[in-house]
Amino acid sequence: MKKSTLRKTLKYIGNYKYLMLFSIILAVISVLFNLYIPVIIGYAIDCIKGFNNVDFHSMFGYLIKAGVIAIITAIITWIMNVINNRVTYHVVRDVRNDAFKKIQILPFSYLDSHSNGDILSRVVADADQFADGLLMGFTQLFTGIVTIVGTFVFMIMINYKIALLVVLFTPLSLLVANFISKRTYHMFKKQSETRAVQTSFIDEIIGNQKVVHAFVHEKEAIDRFDKINDDLEKYSLRATFFSSITNPSTRFVNNLIYAGVGLSGAFIVLAGKLTVGSLSCLLSYANQFAKPFNEISGVITELQNAFACADRLFELIEEQPQIPDKKDAIAIDRADGNIKLENVCFSYTPDKKLIQNFNLSVSPGQRVAIVGPTGCGKTTLINLLMRFYDVTSGSIKVEGTDIRDITRKSLRENYGMVLQDTWLKSGTVKDNIIMGKPDATDEEIIKAAKESHAHSFIKRLPNGYDTQIGEEGGNLSQGQKQLLCITRIMLALPPMLILDEATSSIDTRTELKVQDAFARLMKGRTSFIVAHRLSTIKDADIILVMKNGNIVEQGTHKELLDKNGFYSVLYNSQFEH
Amino acid sequence: MNTKSEAIKIKILKYMKSYKKECVLGPLFKFIEASFELLVPLVVAQIIDVGIANYDKVYIFKMVGILVLLGFAGLAFSITAQFFSAKAAVGFASKIRQALFRHIQSFSYTDIDTISTSTLITRMTSDINQIQTGVNLTLRLALRSPFVVFGAMFMAFTISFKAALVFVVSIPVIAAVIFAIMLVCIPLYKKVQANLDRIMLIVRENLSGVRVIRAFYKENDEKNKFIEQNEEVTKIQKYTGRISAIMNPATIALVNLAIVLLIYIGGVQVSNGIISQGEVVALYNYMSQILVELVKLATMIITLTKAVASANRVSAVLKTPSTQNFTDKSTTENGDIAVEFDNVYMKYSGAADYSLSDISFTAKRGETIGVIGGTGAGKSTLVNLIPGFYYADKGAVRVNGVDVTDINSEDLRKIVGVVMQKNVLFSGTVRDNMKWGNSEATDADILKAIYAAQAEDIINSKENGLDFIIEQNGRNLSGGQKQRLTIARALVKKPEILILDDSSSALDFATDAKLRKSLRELDFNTTVFVVSQRISSIAHADKIIVLDDGNCVGVGTHDELLNSSEVYKEIYNSQTGGGNQ
Repeated sequence: MKKSTLRKTLKYIGNYKYLMLFSIILAVISVLFNLYIPVIIGYAIDCIKGFNNVDFHSMFGYLIKAGVIAIITAIITWIMNVINNRVTYHVVRDVRNDAFKKIQILPFSYLDSHSNGDILSRVVADADQFADGLLMGFTQLFTGIVTIVGTFVFMIMINYKIALLVVLFTPLSLLVANFISKRTYHMFKKQSETRAVQTSFIDEIIGNQKVVHAFVHEKEAIDRFDKINDDLEKYSLRATFFSSITNPSTRFVNNLIYAGVGLSGAFIVLAGKLTVGSLSCLLSYANQFAKPFNEISGVITELQNAFACADRLFELIEEQPQIPDKKDAIAIDRADGNIKLENVCFSYTPDKKLIQNFNLSVSPGQRVAIVGPTGCGKTTLINLLMRFYDVTSGSIKVEGTDIRDITRKSLRENYGMVLQDTWLKSGTVKDNIIMGKPDATDEEIIKAAKESHAHSFIKRLPNGYDTQIGEEGGNLSQGQKQLLCITRIMLALPPMLILDEATSSIDTRTELKVQDAFARLMKGRTSFIVAHRLSTIKDADIILVMKNGNIVEQGTHKELLDKNGFYSVLYNSQFEH
Repeated sequence: MNTKSEAIKIKILKYMKSYKKECVLGPLFKFIEASFELLVPLVVAQIIDVGIANYDKVYIFKMVGILVLLGFAGLAFSITAQFFSAKAAVGFASKIRQALFRHIQSFSYTDIDTISTSTLITRMTSDINQIQTGVNLTLRLALRSPFVVFGAMFMAFTISFKAALVFVVSIPVIAAVIFAIMLVCIPLYKKVQANLDRIMLIVRENLSGVRVIRAFYKENDEKNKFIEQNEEVTKIQKYTGRISAIMNPATIALVNLAIVLLIYIGGVQVSNGIISQGEVVALYNYMSQILVELVKLATMIITLTKAVASANRVSAVLKTPSTQNFTDKSTTENGDIAVEFDNVYMKYSGAADYSLSDISFTAKRGETIGVIGGTGAGKSTLVNLIPGFYYADKGAVRVNGVDVTDINSEDLRKIVGVVMQKNVLFSGTVRDNMKWGNSEATDADILKAIYAAQAEDIINSKENGLDFIIEQNGRNLSGGQKQRLTIARALVKKPEILILDDSSSALDFATDAKLRKSLRELDFNTTVFVVSQRISSIAHADKIIVLDDGNCVGVGTHDELLNSSEVYKEIYNSQTGGGNQ
């Protein structure tokens, strides 16, 4: 078990230290009462001496006292449990919130290179396991410890030699527990990891079930799943079994101690230094003394699993976030649309250079088209403009200010982006449209939807603008989704636009109308357009031609055709049939 | 409600069948271990009554030796028991996961549309984990605890009938309390899991839509949404915890009260000379033993309650019938007509209107059929009916002359190759992905398909060629690259019918033109359906179907339609109006 994991967990628990303190106090009271009840009962039994010799009056007194204490103890224990519940679930809530907050500020380089399933499994399943372990830890650890201390005191009062014997040998069981738990921690970690692999696989296959069906790939998927599942079964069995050895092993050690107490006790009795009654009392206490150790070792097993899960959560929480906005970063209000790229170099990995020494100056209102064969890295440029990634060297300036000196919020608010990869969140159609302008009125929304020609299909949906769309757009077609994404922009009306194949899934008749709307929108706005339709590109003020991740040509349509370079090859190829 | 949940549990319990042996042996060994434990006080009594009383040191050593032996035996039996119960629990969970995954694989498109992916994932992961924990604990304690409880009650009867009645009354009362709390908690645990589903949904969405969310700077809104939902889960977890936390203290209090009553009755009986003081102590000890076991039992029941709630959620998925077609009729007849639509109407489940109305046409073998029309006109719906992804509500879709509703889904899909709108590739090498089309394809077959799909530059640009590893969701490829690889994947299949559902949208004109050319030159005979927005992609088709709002408004060749179809003419003008052709 990593010490740092424990420390981090304690830090989260620290927020509830007063509640925890209260819980510990209640634990002490409830345990002492629980140890005291048998004592009172013992007195009551002592009142029963034999035939016609029972002190009913005193016995009633003791019994009523025992009953009242029993009820009070129950209430105290319940309150303690409620507090433990509260702390556990609050701690897990806090950890989960922190994990989610971290997801929001993770750099794209992390998100683009980690599987969603793995992150999902951390935030949901691991957090859940963590809660289970923590709860068990809280409820049984304190009471266990207090019981040990309480019993020890009682034992010393009876015979310190035997008490010492018990105390000296009991750590042996802890040693055994520790020995086993050190080995099982890795097994739990392995189990967690395999679980993550499986979640990832399930996420991928079930998330794309339609494709699986289309290719009759069910059998292969099942085979692969079975393989991972078998691995999980194997690791899980190991983790579960080896951890469950702890309890019997410590119990065994305790049984030996019990026998030892019996042996030495019997001889002390023989020497006349102890009564039989005291011996039986000591024996029962030796047993009681051992029980919490057993429980604690069980708790340790559970905690281990919990810590292995917590470890994966903390790993996510401690992941390096994206470079935060500078303290003195300025918020641009409405950018005029002046964008300058100076000596920009960029690559995703150091060993594979992409954009090198790229210079570009865009005046307000200009239209920049980005063309190139598929896979040439057009998206990279968008990643840089939106500051999803930072340039490796050089700078990008908006209104003369380096975008690294501008708050991300204001930079991104000034861009309107429509991607080819349409994404809608679950919620109503309206929720999706107002993302860029949450305070929009219904009239504004409808006006924007009419502008993007989405209004007619939205109207036909069962509940119009209030229709719920499922996860990832549910039953809407790609084209409809894209129209909704365009409507977002039509509503928000940002000063700069990025349109990455924004109309690729829309039929051409509608597209023509949408293009009209775009043309009106682009007036006076700086825009970057990735498109295949060369008619859109032709009228652009600047055309950037990309190839293999780098910008190879730059100019107007006419200039580039005259140059007779890569662009003219691309342009002419469209007429081939 | 209870009988219903019992029935569901039994449905899942069938996966326990292969672990019958473990299910018997686990508790049995546990039982033996418990019996050894019960012997210990007897041995100690012997030490006191015989060893100490007779001053017999050898006897004491002997008895202590027996204690040690009992310890060893207990250890051996309980480790064996732990192994069997761990094996049964882990194996059972593994079998359920397997069954669930298989069942989900048999879902039809309509099933997939109606059940959310997130909830399926939680059920496959955290719910099944809960079941595993529940089964493991139950196997360890199920036999042991009741044995001790009833054994103690039995012993009480041998001492005093009247005093034993306290046991007879208190045990059912305690059982009733435990049962009542359990009944309240099961639906609550269900609610907790449902809320966890929602947490899962938000996280998933935030991962898949991260670019859009950050572009709109919605991080804070999403954060608040998550915190709110998380608070909701926490609230209901706390509420559930408060109720289930009653169980333990209430049980202890009831047992203590029973002890008080027991001693009172015992006192009266001693006073009347019916039993001795020692026997009262014995009765008290038996009740204490019950207390210890009941505490364990209560813990087990809480875990079991959670497991049952989870089991119900898993069963619910298993009970969802799959609407896929498993008839054994395949389609091998080779007529002249590959695909035929006969007055087809189609409505999605839950939709108000037909998405396709009265569509009729035939596609001859080897022909290329173009499908064009506005957004939401029903183009994808039309082609989705051919591989039986969805079925027609009225009319018939026939492949090789056989109604698709009569054809085994698997056989049908084996002869139809589909390239979908959404380009999905899976984590693994390029070769792995290509083999989805045909698991027996050789590298040469794959390369041929990749060339035909104009995707050779992708593998040429990657160091490892076909061994290039694609990440989940094809994250390390661009949209166009993914699209061409998905086309190649369909070509590897060498399908009788090839459907390209708007699958050149991410391609530039040059690549699109080259692709069209190579599709005409394939070395196998195939009937091609091309769904597209671009006239240029379908102009050469043998037959073009023009859709408008779910209706067929024109069938014919490019030239015929230019004369006969207003809608087609309009689309044509909209694209050439740009002045490129």
